[in-house]
Amino acid sequence: MGNQKYTASELMAIMTAKEFRDWEVAFVGIGIPLVAGITAKRFHAPNLNIVYESGCIGPQKYRVDFNVGDSSAADGALCLTSEWRVFSDMQCGYYNVGVLGAAQVDKYGNLNTTAIFGDQDYHSPKVRLPGSGGGNDIGSNIGRVVVMLRLEPLRFVEKVDYLTTPGFLDGSPNARKKAGLLGSGPAAVVTDKALFRFDTSTNEMYLDTIYPGVDVQDIKSLVGWELKIAPDLKVAPEPTDEELAAVRASDPANLIMGGVAARKRLSGLDEYIEITIKNSGK
Amino acid sequence: MNGNNNANKQMTLKDAIGKFVKDDCSITFGGFIGRDCVAAVHEIIRQGIKNLTVIDDSKTDMMDLLVGAGAVKRWEGAYLGYGAIGLAPNIRRSVEKGIPAKIEMEDWSNAGISMRYLAGSLNIPFMATKSMLGTDIVKYNQRIKIINDPYEGEPVALVPAAHPDVAIIHVQRADAMGNAQVWGFTGNDENKARAAKHTIITCEEIVSTDEIRRQGNMTLIPFYCADAVVQVPYGCHPQSCYGYYAYDVLFCGDYHESAKDRDQFLRWLDRYVFGSADHADYCAKVGWSRLQNLMTMERHFNRIPG
Repeated sequence: MGNQKYTASELMAIMTAKEFRDWEVAFVGIGIPLVAGITAKRFHAPNLNIVYESGCIGPQKYRVDFNVGDSSAADGALCLTSEWRVFSDMQCGYYNVGVLGAAQVDKYGNLNTTAIFGDQDYHSPKVRLPGSGGGNDIGSNIGRVVVMLRLEPLRFVEKVDYLTTPGFLDGSPNARKKAGLLGSGPAAVVTDKALFRFDTSTNEMYLDTIYPGVDVQDIKSLVGWELKIAPDLKVAPEPTDEELAAVRASDPANLIMGGVAARKRLSGLDEYIEITIKNSGK
Repeated sequence: MNGNNNANKQMTLKDAIGKFVKDDCSITFGGFIGRDCVAAVHEIIRQGIKNLTVIDDSKTDMMDLLVGAGAVKRWEGAYLGYGAIGLAPNIRRSVEKGIPAKIEMEDWSNAGISMRYLAGSLNIPFMATKSMLGTDIVKYNQRIKIINDPYEGEPVALVPAAHPDVAIIHVQRADAMGNAQVWGFTGNDENKARAAKHTIITCEEIVSTDEIRRQGNMTLIPFYCADAVVQVPYGCHPQSCYGYYAYDVLFCGDYHESAKDRDQFLRWLDRYVFGSADHADYCAKVGWSRLQNLMTMERHFNRIPG
């Protein structure tokens, strides 16, 4: 992926956006998952309704959020309610799809967002991560789950250090139902190099789609188990100009996708406010 | 329990924190990374309160500050990060390296904590949830009990009621009785206020009781739950307050960079917290015109009626 006209983050957001369908209700975490949700709303799924765990249901999405409780999460919402109520609505089965990030994933789609142990353990980890937040709840009880993370060394592992969010657990038939979980589990894993799905009979993750210019061997070398490849392995199309325009308009100051570097390029708060209002459509 | 009912609950933030937040107490904060009680957290740090047990769902700035300042002994909660900006630097230093002290961590999910506060607000001992089943959250947190439900026989997780000593909730407006009105999302605030032994309401504006009566639907927390009412304009900065001001992403970005280094964090704390007599002093350091711009931005998108 050399001198392309798009970044890996932009392609991840576009690939994830395609997982949303019009009129679905989606529970979306902050960061690139949210950019994907806004992109889908502005592109192929205008009636997608996003729900935030703070208690915001169906906001207009004029501007990107940096936290699930930013007031932007409530802009023009259809319903503003409580946290326990939206989790209960999730448990009732009202929500179709959730999108989650993770630090580690295993071959059955179990996620770790709690701690990277390194040579140590849960109590004194090498890296303490934020914890479940609402991730476990989404993985437990929502219709289907889309996972987003970069395909980098030590992220796709045989066994996660800490199982925060359930995928297909040990992969055995009906493992989720036996544990008492309500949702149907992970449907896709979107990375910066390829998209993975899950075999419906073995519950094991397999390589479904590679991105333009990516080599299958490179992907296999980054996965910590003997990765199975779809017999009809697909190659993702290059993102169109329209898709790129939609994703960029969803994060106009580039603060989610561009991180610290983009923040430092802004002259100050006034420029950020001007860009946000100009691109909001309101 | 009518000894708490009067129309004279208004006090300063200094007095409210001093009266209700003690060393070794348990505490929870309203908001959900938005409408956060940042001003109250600064005051807790200024007063040097220690050994807090925080029972909460998801927090960013507030817990990073409290842990970095050495005010926290134990966390029972779901999320301690820094939103889309990254991981929380002081949380990492504490848990990984014990600097300035290692906090005890008890992990829950957001729905799990929500059910703990729902149980607390119902005054029943526990609540059941279909979250956390089959995971390491249950393995490391022995207070979550998995049972087969006595009616249908399916597995379900039980979580104990939360009853912190103190809840601090920031709202858009309240009266001197303690009727607290909230616009935007409400998080777990109505349950936190009911589950706690004492509740401090901080607010952007104090209004008359007649004004409260005009929109009784907006009263999330009725007077009998509140022990103190404190007006603290811009009390959530750098977090957002729906209808009042937007999230200050650039201020948070700068904080995050500073907090990665312990000495720089301590200088930040000296400048903005210990070096400020009160929240108005903090606001002056942030810059009143900057705060005004955040308000202008927010009101472009959200304007509270009336």
